[in-house]
Amino acid sequence: MTLRLSTSVAAIALTAAPLAAQDLITRDRVGLPDAPNAMSFRLTAYDLYSSDLEMRAAFEALFTEFIEARPDWRIDTQLATDNIGEEQARMLEQARAGRGPDCAMIDSSQLATFKAAGVLAPMNDHWAEEEIADLFPFVREAVTDADGNLVAWWWFTDLRVLYRDTAVVPEAPQTWDELEAAAVAASEAGLEGILFNGARWEGTTFDWLGNFWAAGGELVDEDGRPVFGEGENREAFLEALGYYRSLVESGAAPGRVTTINNYDEFNAAAAAGTAAMFVGGNWQYGQLAGTLSEERFADWAVSELPGPTAEDRATGTGGWTIAALSDDPEKVQLCAEMVKEIYSGAGNAVQGLLPTSAAQYETYDAFEGPQFDLFAEALVNGRPRPGAAIYPEISNQIQILMGDVLSGAAEPEAALDAAFEASLAAYERL
Amino acid sequence: MAARPLLWLLPIALVLGTVYVIPVADVVRLSFSDATLLRPAESYGLSGYAAMLEARDLGVVLRNTVVFTVASVVGLQLAGLLVALLVARGDRRGLPGMTALRTIVLAAWVVPGVANGIIWQTLFSEAPFGAINSTLALIGLPRVAWLSDPEMAMVSAVLANVWQGTAFSMVVFYAARRAIDPRLYEAAEVDGARPFARFVYITLPQLKGAILVNTVLVTIQTLNTFDSILALTGGGPGRATEVLSLHIFNRVFYNYDLGGGSALALVLVAISTALTLVYIALLGRGRT
Repeated sequence: MTLRLSTSVAAIALTAAPLAAQDLITRDRVGLPDAPNAMSFRLTAYDLYSSDLEMRAAFEALFTEFIEARPDWRIDTQLATDNIGEEQARMLEQARAGRGPDCAMIDSSQLATFKAAGVLAPMNDHWAEEEIADLFPFVREAVTDADGNLVAWWWFTDLRVLYRDTAVVPEAPQTWDELEAAAVAASEAGLEGILFNGARWEGTTFDWLGNFWAAGGELVDEDGRPVFGEGENREAFLEALGYYRSLVESGAAPGRVTTINNYDEFNAAAAAGTAAMFVGGNWQYGQLAGTLSEERFADWAVSELPGPTAEDRATGTGGWTIAALSDDPEKVQLCAEMVKEIYSGAGNAVQGLLPTSAAQYETYDAFEGPQFDLFAEALVNGRPRPGAAIYPEISNQIQILMGDVLSGAAEPEAALDAAFEASLAAYERL
Repeated sequence: MAARPLLWLLPIALVLGTVYVIPVADVVRLSFSDATLLRPAESYGLSGYAAMLEARDLGVVLRNTVVFTVASVVGLQLAGLLVALLVARGDRRGLPGMTALRTIVLAAWVVPGVANGIIWQTLFSEAPFGAINSTLALIGLPRVAWLSDPEMAMVSAVLANVWQGTAFSMVVFYAARRAIDPRLYEAAEVDGARPFARFVYITLPQLKGAILVNTVLVTIQTLNTFDSILALTGGGPGRATEVLSLHIFNRVFYNYDLGGGSALALVLVAISTALTLVYIALLGRGRT
């Protein structure tokens, strides 16, 4: 049965819920202030506390319904900062010291670190085996620990895709060479040919990693040791790095890519009509639809990231998980129920965020449309970041390397050697 | 009461001890350990310091720190002095708007570092629609690679820091300038001294103490600056603007290296402490 959930949730939110929400939902609490039981929950600012009023109302409705069914409970909400790396590292430190939240959103790239630290409570009892089996394989692997315990629920995923203005680039480039040729032609016409993240932040590494993987590279081995600077991985790394370097040197990409540290820059360029293509996230499709006029939006299309050949493709898949960090079984249960009733499924549909199991695409009509067919197709070539504790430092080193190489301050080989050496040294200290 | 000062100092000693001494003592302990954010210390020794000295990036980071600090301190002194003298002159002549000018300069000071970084990132944007570059293009000047060129990125970081910190220097210099005996200037005018001569032979010597004290204070302040750089460039491109404080942040929160990060933090503490001792010595000399 197909549910028109996003519509109905929005309708509830805009009609009946506000009065109840005023009583039950505040900036730091869901539920009655004097409820006998409390669970702390650290969440990002994109749902219950979203600046998008419609989004907030929809989640307030979901949370209100959830907490009304559990009058003995109060959820003490803690809003996470948007500096993901620092926020997650601090939370890990707090969890290790026994001062962490009972339940929390954990970035999928950081999940391995939390697993390695042993601070996540198993949630096996709260999901059926079929539900776990229906998760995409890369998701299932990430949320399961060495003993087979389910230690988090990855509630939405995302992927990197290529956006293009079809008025400038009518055909989707299938290979790196095709993309560069199209971008050079666009830059000769006075536009910025291709934009991508290149500054010191996680988006730079993650958006580029699809190219590295498509070239056949691996960042770490099975033990989590960095291997990207040796053997065939080194060749793949230099090949993918050379692709980005060539984009800048040929003028296909402007030098300012080394300053881009925010996906909003791409939306702004699209709105200003100054860019022909950009490497962005699937979630930007909806943002562009809301930003551009209907006529201008019709010119923009999305396609899979090009590869070194048309057959060799890969794209980074991210997203967020929710995990319990408490030893109290009742809090673990409440955390799991919250995930099931609010975020996984209903929350995906409300936000248009890609679910992590195939069945949910069939359940909600929010995922109908040609763009979702493309996303589902591209997810076949999806790769998550490695579940290794060393990943944040590898990412940091790649960001440094990318800035050095793209700004002409270092040669690719020397920059790669320095990054690899630093990553190995960091790995030894972990 | 005077015979028992310790009793009266106890509350503040407790507060300072809790807020400063205990965390610093813990940093000292961690600096001799192999602790990471993922696990507690398993052994103690000098490995953190050894790794710090062996790291090939430390030289670049220290060079960036020196360049950023020296350029910022010079910029802060000059800009602060200029604004202070401007306001003092305006006051003396009874010009309207001097209070508004002081308020505007002070407004930059209360802006949080992260917000300061974001403001300047927007202004320095190299997009075709970037604020400063668009203005330059309007008047026929070439666009500038404010943040993508490694050398210009450091200049941009210094400009952003100077813009924010000028108010502090201005306050120090303005107070010192107001304290100069006006009879010195009256006598100089009677002797026919021109404005530049009055500045060189009266103002600067009279402000010497304020300049010394301000130098030490803004140096400490600049050494600890990392939030505005984090928001402006993140330390990039590459490591072009990664200063010591930002490097420590990265070491702990990306590398999870609590031991190594603590060792580096102590280096920063040692530099700041040395400068503080200089500041105390200068204050003592001023009183004698």
